Amino acid sequence: MVLAQNKTRQCNIVQLPTLILHGRLEFDSPMPSPDSPAVRLSSTRLDRGGRTILRDIDLSVPRGSITAVLGPSGSGKSTLLAALTGELPPAAGTVEVFDRPVPLGTRHLLEMRKSIGVLLQGNGLLTDLTVAENVALPLRTHTKLPALLVERIVDFKLNAVGLLAARDAYPRELSGGMARRVALARALALDPPLMIYDEPLTGLDPIASGVIMSLIQRLNDTLGLTSIIVTHHVHETLPIADQAVVIANGGIVFSGTPAELENSADPLVRQFLRGEPDGPIAFDATPRTEAA
Amino acid sequence: MAVRGPRLEFAVGAFLLLALASLLVLAIASTNQKFGFGGSSYELTARFSNLGQLRPQAPVKIGGVVIGKVSKIVLDPVKFDSVVTLDINNEYKELPADTSAGIFTSGLLGENYIGLSPGGDPEVLKPGEEIAFTQPAVDLLQLVGKYMFSGGGKPAEGADAGADASTPPAAPPSSEEPAK
Amino acid sequence: MAFAPAIRSLGRAGLFTLSVLRSSRPTKDFFAELVREIYKIGGRSLPIVAAGGAFVGLSVTLLGYRALETYGATSQVSALLGLGLYRELGPVLTALLFVGRAGSSIAAELGLMRATDQIKALELMAIDPIAKAVAPRFWAAVISVPLLTGFFCSLAITAGYLEAVHVIGVDSGTFWQTLKDSVDFADDFCVAFIKAAIFGGTSALVAAYVGFHAEPTIEGTSVATTRAVVNASLLVLMFNFVLSALLFRS
Repeated sequence: MVLAQNKTRQCNIVQLPTLILHGRLEFDSPMPSPDSPAVRLSSTRLDRGGRTILRDIDLSVPRGSITAVLGPSGSGKSTLLAALTGELPPAAGTVEVFDRPVPLGTRHLLEMRKSIGVLLQGNGLLTDLTVAENVALPLRTHTKLPALLVERIVDFKLNAVGLLAARDAYPRELSGGMARRVALARALALDPPLMIYDEPLTGLDPIASGVIMSLIQRLNDTLGLTSIIVTHHVHETLPIADQAVVIANGGIVFSGTPAELENSADPLVRQFLRGEPDGPIAFDATPRTEAA
Repeated sequence: MAVRGPRLEFAVGAFLLLALASLLVLAIASTNQKFGFGGSSYELTARFSNLGQLRPQAPVKIGGVVIGKVSKIVLDPVKFDSVVTLDINNEYKELPADTSAGIFTSGLLGENYIGLSPGGDPEVLKPGEEIAFTQPAVDLLQLVGKYMFSGGGKPAEGADAGADASTPPAAPPSSEEPAK
Repeated sequence: MAFAPAIRSLGRAGLFTLSVLRSSRPTKDFFAELVREIYKIGGRSLPIVAAGGAFVGLSVTLLGYRALETYGATSQVSALLGLGLYRELGPVLTALLFVGRAGSSIAAELGLMRATDQIKALELMAIDPIAKAVAPRFWAAVISVPLLTGFFCSLAITAGYLEAVHVIGVDSGTFWQTLKDSVDFADDFCVAFIKAAIFGGTSALVAAYVGFHAEPTIEGTSVATTRAVVNASLLVLMFNFVLSALLFRS
C-alpha cells in the first residue's frame, strides 16, 4: 500500500488542497491553537421532536485522537453526531468544533462543514457518477483547482484506500466494503481535520471490517486527523481507540480509555461489553415515555 | 442503465434535433402559418344590420384569398347595427374607397366570413376608415321558409326579407327588420 | 382551522419551487447533469409517447370520421384531429404519459437518494442537494415535455393521415388543406407548447418535492412514487383547464 509515510503533521502531497483552503481560511479567522480539543461539548442538552434525547453532556475530544462513541441502539449516538455537524442546534449548553461554536447561519455552517468529513451509514455515493467522479465532487465544487490536478488528487485518495483500480466503476458495481472505502476516500477529499464515522462497520464481513478499521487508524495517524467513531461494534473498535465514551439512558455513562472500559464495574457497561441479553437494559420492552 | 459520456451526449443531441425538426415540420404542414404576431395589420370598420353567424377571428377574403380577420364586433347602442372591426394585412393597403363588404357562408354549412369586392375608386381606404357599402348576412332558413310558404305570391312580406338579400348596398344604416 | 395543515403544505411546496428556481445556476456541471437528465426523462419517454401518439391519431380520426358522417362534413376530419390535438389531447396526454413514465422515476430516484443517505451526504459536504439533484431534473422536464408533445402530435397527425387517406378514402389534398386552414399558429400551435412546458415543469416539481421529502425508508420511496403520479396527474388536468380558460380567446 502506497501511503505517505511522513509521521509528523507537516504537509504531504496528499494534503495539497488543505493548504489551498486553509490559506484562504487564514484571512477569515485566526488558526485555532494546537492544544485545544478538536471537539468540546459543555453541559449540552439535545432535544428532538420535543423529547430530550441527551442531557448534561460533557465531552472533550483531543486533537489527533480516535474517540469511540459506543452505546445500545437508540441511545442517541446519531443525535450526538447531528449536533457536531450542525444539523441539530443544542437546546442548552455549547458545542464547539476547533474552538468555535457550531454556527447556525447557513453560510458559516457551510464553511464549517467543509472542514468535517463524514462517513455515513448508507455511504451516500451518487448513483449516476463513477467512483472517480464521486470522489472528485467536493474538489470540483469547493476548489478552483485545474481538472488535471483534481484527477491526481482523486487518484491519491483512491490509492490510499486501495481502490485505484475501481476508479471508473459505478457504485452499484461495488461490494459493500468497497463502496464504504470509496465513501471514505470522498470524505477525505478536502483533507478535513476532523473525521466522523457513523457506524462504519455495518453490514461488512470480518475482513472488510478489518480493512476499514485499519484504514481509519492509519489515515488518522498519517494525516494527523481527529476521528470520532460512532459504533456498536465494540471489539473491533476498542483496539484502535484512544478514548471510549458510552452513551446510555440519555447521557454519558462512561468516559475514559479502552483499558478502563474493559475493567469497569458498572453493570450497564458490563452488560453492553459482554452482550448479555438482560441487565440494567431490560430484556422486556417497557412502554417508552422518554428517550432511553 | 447508464450511458456514458460521448454516447449520452450524442443521444441527447439526436433527440433534440429530431424533436425540433418535427416541430418545424408540424408548424409548416399543419398550421395556417400566420407567423406574424400582430403589428403587421391595419384596421377598417364596417357596419352590418345582420351578422348571421359571423364571429371574431373569422377570415376576411377578397375573391377567396384571405387578407385579414375580424377582430372585434360591437353593437352600436344608438343605431342598433353592429360595428365590425377588420384587421387587414399590411400588404393590402390599397383598397379602393368604394370597396363593398358582405357576409358570406363558406360552403353550405360552413362558417361565415367577410368578402370584400373592390371597386374602381382611385382613392384608397385609410386605416381606421369605415367601409361605406355593406351587405348583411343571408339567413338561409328564413329565405327558404319564405319561398316555401308564400309560394312566391306575397310580395308584401317577401319585400322586406328579400330586399335585404338582393338589393345592392345603399345607405349604411339599413334598419329594416333585422331578421333575427 | 382544518385547512391549516393543507395551507402549510402548500406553502412548503411553494418554497421548494422557489429554492429550485434560485439554485439553478448555469455551471458546467449543471449542464452535464442537465444533458444526462434530458436523456433519462425525455429520451426514455419517447417510445411510449410516440406509440401513444400514433394510436390516439388513429382513434380520433376513425371516431371523428364516423361522427362527422352524420352531417356530411367528413372533409373536416383533419380539422377535428388537428384542433383536438393541439388544444387538448397533445399537451395533456403527453403530460400524463410523462408523469407516469418520468414523474414516477424522478420521485423514485429522489426517494432512493434520500433513503441511501445521498442527500444527507451532499448536505454534509456543503453541496446544495436541490441544486445538484432537483434543478437539473426540473429544467430537463421543462425542455423535454414540449419536445415530446411535438413528437406526439406529429405521430398522431401522420397516423391520422394514413388512416383517413389510405384506409377511409378522404382526399389527401382536402386533408392537409383543411388542417392548415383550421389550426392557427399562435392560438393553437404555440399555446399547445406553452401548455406543455408548464405541464412538464409542474410534474417535475411535484415528483421532485414528493421524492425529496420522502421517508428515508424503502416504504417511503414507494409511497412517494405513487403520490407523485397521482398528484402530478391531477395538477396537470387542473392547470389544463385554467390555461385553456385563460389562453383560449375565441
